Amino acid sequence: MGLITPLYDDLWNEYVLWSALVGLFTFGWLYHHSFYYTAKEGETPNIDNLEVGVFPKEYDNLKLEFAWFIAPLMLIIYLTFISWAPLDNLWSAASSEDGGHYGNECAAGESSNLMFNDDTGLYEADCYEVFGITGYQWYWEFDCFDLSEDLCAVSTTTIEGKDQPLISLKANTAYLAVMDSNDVTHAPWFVSLGIKEDVLPQQTTTQWVLADNVENFLLLCTEYCGDDHAYMIAGVSVHA
Amino acid sequence: MERKTLVTRSMVALILISIAMVVSPAVNSLPTGVGGTGIQSSGCNCHSAVPTATVDITVDGLPEEYNASETYTVTVSFSGGPVESGINSGGFNLWASGGEFSVLDATVESRAPAEVTHTEAGNDYRTWTVEWIAPSHGRDVDFIVHVNSVNGDGANSGDEWNRYDLTVAGSLGPGLDPADPFTVLATLIIISGLLLTITILYGFYRTNPDVFDWEHLAPWIADWLTTTDHKKIGTLYFVQGLFFLGVGGILAMMIRLQLAGPDMGFISQDQYNSFFTLHGTTMIFLAAMPLINGFANWIVPLQIGAPDLALPRINALSFWLQPFAALLIFTGVFSGQGADTGWTGYAPYIVSTGAHTGVTMWVAGQIMLVASSTLTGINFLTTMAVMRAEGMGWMQMPLFTWSILVANLMLFLSIPAFGVGLIQVYLDRTISTAFYDIAAGGDPLLWSHLFWYFGHPEVYVVIVPAFGVISEVLATSARRSIFGYKSMVLAMAGIGIVAFIVYGHHMFTSGMSPNLRFITMLTTMLVAVPTGVKIFNWLKTLHGGSLVYRTHTLWALGFLVTFTLGGISGMFFPSITMDAHLHETYFVVAHFHYVLVGGTVFGFFAAIYYWYPKMTGRMLDEKLGTLHFLTAFVTYNGIFWPMHRLGVIGMPRRTHTYFITTEDFTALPEWAADWNMFISVCAFLFFFSNFILVANMLISLVRGQKAPADPWGGWSFEWMTASPPPTPSFDWNNLPVLKDANEHIANEPSAIGRWFNRLMVPEDQEEVSH
Repeated sequence: MGLITPLYDDLWNEYVLWSALVGLFTFGWLYHHSFYYTAKEGETPNIDNLEVGVFPKEYDNLKLEFAWFIAPLMLIIYLTFISWAPLDNLWSAASSEDGGHYGNECAAGESSNLMFNDDTGLYEADCYEVFGITGYQWYWEFDCFDLSEDLCAVSTTTIEGKDQPLISLKANTAYLAVMDSNDVTHAPWFVSLGIKEDVLPQQTTTQWVLADNVENFLLLCTEYCGDDHAYMIAGVSVHA
Repeated sequence: MERKTLVTRSMVALILISIAMVVSPAVNSLPTGVGGTGIQSSGCNCHSAVPTATVDITVDGLPEEYNASETYTVTVSFSGGPVESGINSGGFNLWASGGEFSVLDATVESRAPAEVTHTEAGNDYRTWTVEWIAPSHGRDVDFIVHVNSVNGDGANSGDEWNRYDLTVAGSLGPGLDPADPFTVLATLIIISGLLLTITILYGFYRTNPDVFDWEHLAPWIADWLTTTDHKKIGTLYFVQGLFFLGVGGILAMMIRLQLAGPDMGFISQDQYNSFFTLHGTTMIFLAAMPLINGFANWIVPLQIGAPDLALPRINALSFWLQPFAALLIFTGVFSGQGADTGWTGYAPYIVSTGAHTGVTMWVAGQIMLVASSTLTGINFLTTMAVMRAEGMGWMQMPLFTWSILVANLMLFLSIPAFGVGLIQVYLDRTISTAFYDIAAGGDPLLWSHLFWYFGHPEVYVVIVPAFGVISEVLATSARRSIFGYKSMVLAMAGIGIVAFIVYGHHMFTSGMSPNLRFITMLTTMLVAVPTGVKIFNWLKTLHGGSLVYRTHTLWALGFLVTFTLGGISGMFFPSITMDAHLHETYFVVAHFHYVLVGGTVFGFFAAIYYWYPKMTGRMLDEKLGTLHFLTAFVTYNGIFWPMHRLGVIGMPRRTHTYFITTEDFTALPEWAADWNMFISVCAFLFFFSNFILVANMLISLVRGQKAPADPWGGWSFEWMTASPPPTPSFDWNNLPVLKDANEHIANEPSAIGRWFNRLMVPEDQEEVSH
């Protein structure tokens, strides 16, 4: 079972695998002991001679306790390590000079050529485009700056009987969304891309929008912002 | 034309256009069909200001009384109005209050399950045919039809429209008017209060049926209102905690009714926002915390051999701040302006004018709770430090008492930050200070830091006492001493320390510095280590034991399942990339309910079944207890397990509705709605299953078997006293002394203990006063 985007599909699958292993181990142990070490009907034996007012004889094993201190520690070190790689997709620098793997901002006519490298698990692009998102109570405003209509276009569409903003993006293009808010905190969630970041008043935040597949999906607000929060939505159309 | 005349006419035209723009509601009239929320109330007024009676609408195919779920072919047509041109002749909108429409050809499109309109191709006709699938509920269904009779010139002038209403009868008639959710909530709270009052009066009646009159009742009530006995205050905490557990549950049921299907109209957005805010606040601060304090008040002094808490009057003050805080928190609900900020109360929304006025009282109530928790922390830490029985060193304290010590230390160190944030918000909202006023340079992230510095430890404050309960229950049930007592204590202390360096994971998408986010990813992962130690120690405790199955054993084993699942799902969030998707989704809702219900509440249930005989002197009914466990455990998992998948596929939390994929946009698949219905049904079953516990407690109080002093064979001091214990719990002149089965280490202070003792004034010396 994959997550919603190749951005961290492999990571998700590995987490699910380790979860299943930990679950099998723990629940197998629990299941066995719950039914194996049980008292016979009507009996209440006193294995460790528990007695009221007497601190019981200590029952421990340093080696075992150390083992199940070390085992989860090793696992989380490994999980932290594998969580590291996809961070490069989320937090790549905005210039190739600083090590960013989406290049620099595209010059006029230059093509982004976004692609997912299966070997490295990273998205790569020759350059990226920039557009703006501003959150208002309770609608989104997109700004294509000076991008061509093919790369970025803003219009409206009807979603669930209401007029909502629509942003059209071009597939196989890396975009850097430059975002802020006009009032309170919001968070645009590009659901099909699996990314979100808060937008805050008088503060600029950014996120990489890696439009790889042709599809139309919703952008939702995922930071509670008041009355119409549930309906603060927009359409995202990624075209070929 | 003179310039003056031109300007005047232009001005008049502009004013008329402006008035028209303001007056005209938001109705879309498009070649591709008409629709929009305003059409039901205002009609197709872009074609003409008022309807025209000569446009005659006909609806064929609908029966006088429908059969449930049967399909009918419905034809909408009209005559009258402008002469039909053959191109752009007309349009329609058909809305029904129930059932679903199915489109038969390209002239009609669906706007919603129960709303259809014409397409661009359908604009050339004056007759349209659709199928209507009647609802299964059997209530009357209202239909509203609008038609436009269009002259085909491409402009709106000369067009006419009309509206036609009809009702198709159902076998059950019109049905009841929908209830106002606030009325439902207020009624249920009042009924719960009345039931509580009757229960309390019945409790008084049972103490002595012969003196059931006001002269005896008044001093009895006065005694409860002014008591400083730790057991009575513990009972008061229980009554409050269980009452608000019910109120929080009612709020949850109303939320689940709203989410049972997409686009439900049971509660408005406004009400929904208040209800989820109060659900979170109630469950954490008015239910879970009082229940912890109830157990702590009852059990800690008994376990350490103390006659009472160190500061009994402070204890009473801590409790009585709570009901008044609850009144403040709920003040807004009864005025229709309940707090609507979420329990996290993020700035700057919380100080904005858009937030409900009830937020101010909600903040005031929370400040009182901060004071209450701080006083409680002082009291318990002092009691444990100075009132332990002779022979009980720190490392001989029962694990439940240890868990209360760790929880109170965490609370004591974290809650001041929350208090500071609350006071800032209160001042911003009342005297216009500018801590969170963005225009004046306020910083919304300051609130997030202050809140989560408290909020994350608070989650552990609520769960760690459950760890203590499970340690007691499992060891006693397995007839063993706990495996790895010292590592259990160290693991709890470790959780208490790690709690303070992980809170940033709640802010992974907040714009916080990436460096700080990365460090937090590492520290958050560490939580798995001490919790893993605890789970494995519990399992090892069962090894070689002789498990006696009682209801509290079932709940403890159930806790191990659900808490482990909650722990595993919790490991997905520290991974920042996955958190970017999962943050604020139902995956989060599933995770924290697995920890806070499957962990904390199941731990409380185990504790109730374990200590109820000690508190009341009566045994609980085991059959009812088992029935409670089976029904609650199954339905609980039915609620929260599917939420994981819903979160992964994109269902956000804190939203009044959810969107299902349409032809135009990918959203949630249709089966998401089915799972939401399933969750809502399970939620109601879970809610009602807990009444088995309430009934068991009440029935057993009256008719239960008398409990011996130590019904389960435990070792700690609470099992030494009678059931119920006397007041004071232990004789001041004859305090118990703890013996130690490990005689070789008993009463030997450790190196740290010896160092600490050097700092203390010896008992045979008096402090020098200056």
